[in-house]
Amino acid sequence: MAARNHNQWMAKPPLEQGEWIDSRVYTDHEIFEEENEKIFKSTWIPVCHESELPKPYDFRTSSIAREPIIVCRGPDNQVRAFLNVCPHRGMMIERRPSGSFYEGQPSGNPKRMTCMFHGWQFDMKGSCVYVSREKEGYQDRLCKDDVGLRRLRCEVKFGGFVWVNLNDKAPDLETWAGKPFECLRKSLEAEPLEVFHYHKAIVDTNYKLWHDTNCEFYHDFMHYHNRVTGFNDAYFARKNEAFDNGHIVVGTFEVNYDKYEGFESRAALSFPHLPPNQWYMIDLFPGINFNLRGSALRCDVVTPLGPNKTMIEFRGLGLKSDSKEDRMTRINHHNSIWGPFGRNLHEDLIGVQGQGNTMLPGTEARRVLHGRQENQTIHDENGMRHYYDEWGRWLNRLPSSPDKPYSAPKETEAVTAAE
Amino acid sequence: MSTCETVRDAIYQATMFLDAQKWNDWLSLCDESFEYSITSFSPEINYDMTYLAANKKDLHHLVDLLPKHNTDHSPLHRHTTVYSVQPSEDGKTATAVSSVLIFQNMLDGTHSHIDAGESRLFVIGRYMDTLKIENGKGIFLKRELKLDNRRLDKGSHWPL
Ligand code: FES
Ligand SMILES: [Fe+2]
Repeated sequence: MAARNHNQWMAKPPLEQGEWIDSRVYTDHEIFEEENEKIFKSTWIPVCHESELPKPYDFRTSSIAREPIIVCRGPDNQVRAFLNVCPHRGMMIERRPSGSFYEGQPSGNPKRMTCMFHGWQFDMKGSCVYVSREKEGYQDRLCKDDVGLRRLRCEVKFGGFVWVNLNDKAPDLETWAGKPFECLRKSLEAEPLEVFHYHKAIVDTNYKLWHDTNCEFYHDFMHYHNRVTGFNDAYFARKNEAFDNGHIVVGTFEVNYDKYEGFESRAALSFPHLPPNQWYMIDLFPGINFNLRGSALRCDVVTPLGPNKTMIEFRGLGLKSDSKEDRMTRINHHNSIWGPFGRNLHEDLIGVQGQGNTMLPGTEARRVLHGRQENQTIHDENGMRHYYDEWGRWLNRLPSSPDKPYSAPKETEAVTAAE
Repeated sequence: MSTCETVRDAIYQATMFLDAQKWNDWLSLCDESFEYSITSFSPEINYDMTYLAANKKDLHHLVDLLPKHNTDHSPLHRHTTVYSVQPSEDGKTATAVSSVLIFQNMLDGTHSHIDAGESRLFVIGRYMDTLKIENGKGIFLKRELKLDNRRLDKGSHWPL
C-alpha cells in the first residue's frame, strides 16, 4: 500500500497493543492538566543540586506543576523545601533564582525569609517568626504559630540532588527510584559532586516527547557523533532495562570518542567506580534523566508548561574535589557533546521540536509507533512501551485510546479486538 | 589608520565573515594561537560557566564537520558595536569590548511555513577580544563571547 487515506491512516496499526499510542496524549489540554494534577504533584522531582546552596541560609527557587517552591539550607545544614508562598495574602516570598538570607533585605532582618509585601518573616524551618503589628491587628485571634509556611517533602539523595515531592503521602524516594539508581549509586555517592553547567531550553513540544528521546537510541541515526563513536557490536548489545514505576536504565558500553575527529578519550577523568569511557543513562518517570558519560554527569529536568510547551533544565556536574584543570577538562568533555554548542544536544532539541510542530493541540490524532523489538537492546522501543504503560496507570487512560480507561496490555488487546 | 580603527575594522570584518558563514575566512583573521570561548555567568547556580572553549585547531575540526551534523539552518545576523578599544603601550596589541546582539532569521527548525522569514533575537552578549597589530592589520589572538543568555533553545552549533 502506498500513501493512505484518512481511515487507513487512523486504523489500528498492524502491531500489538502497547506498541503504538494515540498522539492525543501529546496534544490534549485536558490530558495536560490531568498530568500536572495527578502525576507531577505526586512524583519526586530533583529541583536543584545541593552544591547550588552550599552555605547555611543559601536558597534556590524552583517550581513543580505551577507551584512555586523554595529550597533553603538551615543553620543546621539541613536542606528543606517549602511552597514559596506567603501565608498572609499569597505573595511570592523570594523572587530571585538563588541567593542567601544571611544578609538582610529591604523589608526584613538577616537570617529570615521576608515577604516584601507586609514584612512577615519566616525562619529556615518555615516557622513564622514575625508578623508586623501582630497584636494590634489580630489581637489574640491569630498568632505566628498558625501561619507557618507549607512544608514540602524533601530529600537530598543520589549524588546530592535535592528532590521535592508535593504529595505528603507519596512513597519515599528510595522506594520510588532506588532500584534504577543501583547501576550508578556507587559512582554518584563516592564523593560530593558539584554543578558546573546550567542552561535551559523552552521548546514547543510535549514533555513526553523529550523524555522519549532520552529513552530511545534508535534516533542515534540523527547524531553523526553517536554513529561514529558507537554503532559497533557492543553498542548494539547495550540493554534497555525496565524498572517499577515507569523508570528505565540504558546499560553501558564503551564509547570510542577518538573515532570522532578532534575528540579524545575520557578515560583519565572517569567518575569513581566507572570503567573508562562508559555511558549509563537513567530515565525516571515522568521526565527526568541522568546521563553519566565517562567524565561528566548530565541531569535533565522537564517542567511541562502546556501540551505543546516544555522547559528543560540541563545541568552538568563534576566532582567537588576537582582541580581547576580537571574541572575545565570535564567542562569541555561535557560541552563538546551536551553543551548548547555541542555535537548532540541541539540535534535532539530540533528533533522534538519537529514533533511538536506536527502535533499542535487540535491536530488530527495519529498513531505513534513504539513497536521495535530487538531483545530489549538499544534500538528496541521497550523503554517507551514501559513508560506509556505506567502513564496509562496514573491517568487511568489507555495510551492507544486515551478516552478509554486503562487496562493492562493483555486485556486491552481483547478490548480493541471487540471494537 | 590608527590602532583603534584597525581593531574596529577587524572586528567588523569578523562579523561579516561569520554572518556569511565563511568560517575559514573568519579563521584566517585569527592567529595560530587563537583561543575562542563562549561563556556565561549563571545566577541560578552561581557559577561562571564555559559553554564552548576551542583553540584554532578545534575550530577547524568543528567547522569542517558541520556539514555532517543536522542543524537549524536559520541564518544568524550579528549586530556588533565596538564600545572600546584599548591599545597596549607599545601599540602591538589591543583589547576591545563590543556589544553583540545576534538575531536568527527563521528558515527551518520550527514550522517553516509559518515562521520562515521572521527574525528572532537569538542571544545577547559581549565580545571581549584581544588582537595583535601586524602590517597594519588586526589579527585575533583571543575572543571570549560573554553571553547573558542561560536560556538557549534549539539553535545551531555554529560558532558565534
Ligand atoms: S502577603 Fe506576605 S506579608 Fe502580606
Ligand atoms: Fe539524542
